[in-house]
Amino acid sequence: MLVFSPLTAQEHTTIGGYGDLQYTNPTGPNTPGVANVKRFVIYLAHGFNDRLSLHSELEVEDAKVESSDPVGELEVEQVFLDYRLTDWLTLRSGLVLVPVGIINETHEPPTFNGVARPSFDQDVIPTTWREIGIGAAGTIPGGNGLSYRVYLVNGVRAEGFSADGGIREGSGEGQNASFANPSFTGRLEWVRPGLTVGGAFWYGGTANGDPTLGTGTFAAPIALLALDARYDIGAASFRGEVANISISDAGAINDRYGNGIGSRLAGGYVEGAYNVLHHLAPASSQKLNAFLRYERYDMQASVPDGMTPDSSLARRITTVGLTYKPTWNTSFKADYQLQRNVAGVGEHDVLSLGVGFQF
Amino acid sequence: MTRALLAALALALGAAPRGGIAQAAPPAKLAASIHRLFGPGVRVDSIRVDSATVLRVSRGDSLLGFAEVGNVIGKDQPITFLVAIGPDDRLKDLDILVYREPRGGEVAYEAWRKQFRGKTAADSVRVDKGIRSISGATISVHAVTAGVRRMLADLTTWHRAGAIR
Repeated sequence: MLVFSPLTAQEHTTIGGYGDLQYTNPTGPNTPGVANVKRFVIYLAHGFNDRLSLHSELEVEDAKVESSDPVGELEVEQVFLDYRLTDWLTLRSGLVLVPVGIINETHEPPTFNGVARPSFDQDVIPTTWREIGIGAAGTIPGGNGLSYRVYLVNGVRAEGFSADGGIREGSGEGQNASFANPSFTGRLEWVRPGLTVGGAFWYGGTANGDPTLGTGTFAAPIALLALDARYDIGAASFRGEVANISISDAGAINDRYGNGIGSRLAGGYVEGAYNVLHHLAPASSQKLNAFLRYERYDMQASVPDGMTPDSSLARRITTVGLTYKPTWNTSFKADYQLQRNVAGVGEHDVLSLGVGFQF
Repeated sequence: MTRALLAALALALGAAPRGGIAQAAPPAKLAASIHRLFGPGVRVDSIRVDSATVLRVSRGDSLLGFAEVGNVIGKDQPITFLVAIGPDDRLKDLDILVYREPRGGEVAYEAWRKQFRGKTAADSVRVDKGIRSISGATISVHAVTAGVRRMLADLTTWHRAGAIR
């Protein structure tokens, strides 16, 4: 991270960033390995005075963006202003990360095991999920480890929902996001050294002014509840996430848009890791984590009446691998992933290698 | 709050800060921190050492310890903190005086800070080597831990060399 010389005693600009390079090779015929600059991200921040600050994240996905090429994105992943009133109240406005799960807010590659983010954090929680709004964040006074974030943001649009993509393409992502259905999201987190436990929610309509789905503020609502935990003890570390997304009007949404969304998306994952250098090289601050993650989630855990659930969307993914961290903010990764589903259709094994950094 | 204490604190706040960024702590917060760490009715004198300002805390004829205010950058904002040592060069405590980052304010929690108490400059004051991290606040944890380690080393060196006494 770089700090530029202050313009005034208190005004200052900082830059930082993170990157994520991946090589993936699925098993099977005609599936050659592919190398990709998955993400290259620049953070830019500015402190205007002691209380008012800007935070932003500009991301290039898949190395380049060309109008003729459907792959590749250039996107503003976050941009918001913070006004710090007290330790327990910071007012926030702008494009913010939805504070759900572990990966959505903390997605820098050295912070998690495995080359790719957990599939659960792409399919069920549409990482990197960000919307525009206003809200508040802070630590709860006397809460002894409790902190919160709560936002009023634009709604997601039912039109973008799909059977295998869940609610992902309903996200506004900061581009002409619809406020037809203002939505609420928030998180409560409890922290001790080595332990972080969080609970989060999202509630809001998705009709986006489509009268066939209803006209109220909360027409065709989605309700998301999520829990997550991270625990480190000695050489061992554990983490897990679970989430449940209820879409009570999934039948009407599917009648209108034919998108095959389930009325409930649910599941999660658990992961354990062990730093083998803890005993091999006790004095070293480097880490070599051997990890195992098991993900189990159903994109159609429930479906509207008359619809048959697609059991290939009941995903069961096992990932085993290594993460080598020469410093806490760099990572070299290798893993092997068994991508399974209840139907046994389109299953793959995937070998992945990755390089990641943040600063 | 005595006039002398406020004057000493004002001098400390006006001093060139560490970390290259001028961010001060509100005098009331600094005074509350000194009060919490050393008790009521203390005398605070500021001593210039190198480019730093050290607060010497005493009561009557007895030296209670030293404190220093510094800044480290977390992800992108300065974190203003105070480190206090006793006459035995053991770290009494640290206080997070101002936290400005969007996330990671958990470094201010007692449960995390208390890991530092009693540490000396000879001890390991490193993340995962004596200091447990906080998931979700990793950047702040690393920044503050490094800042405390440097400050503890400096205060100890100055005290042993007689630059502060």
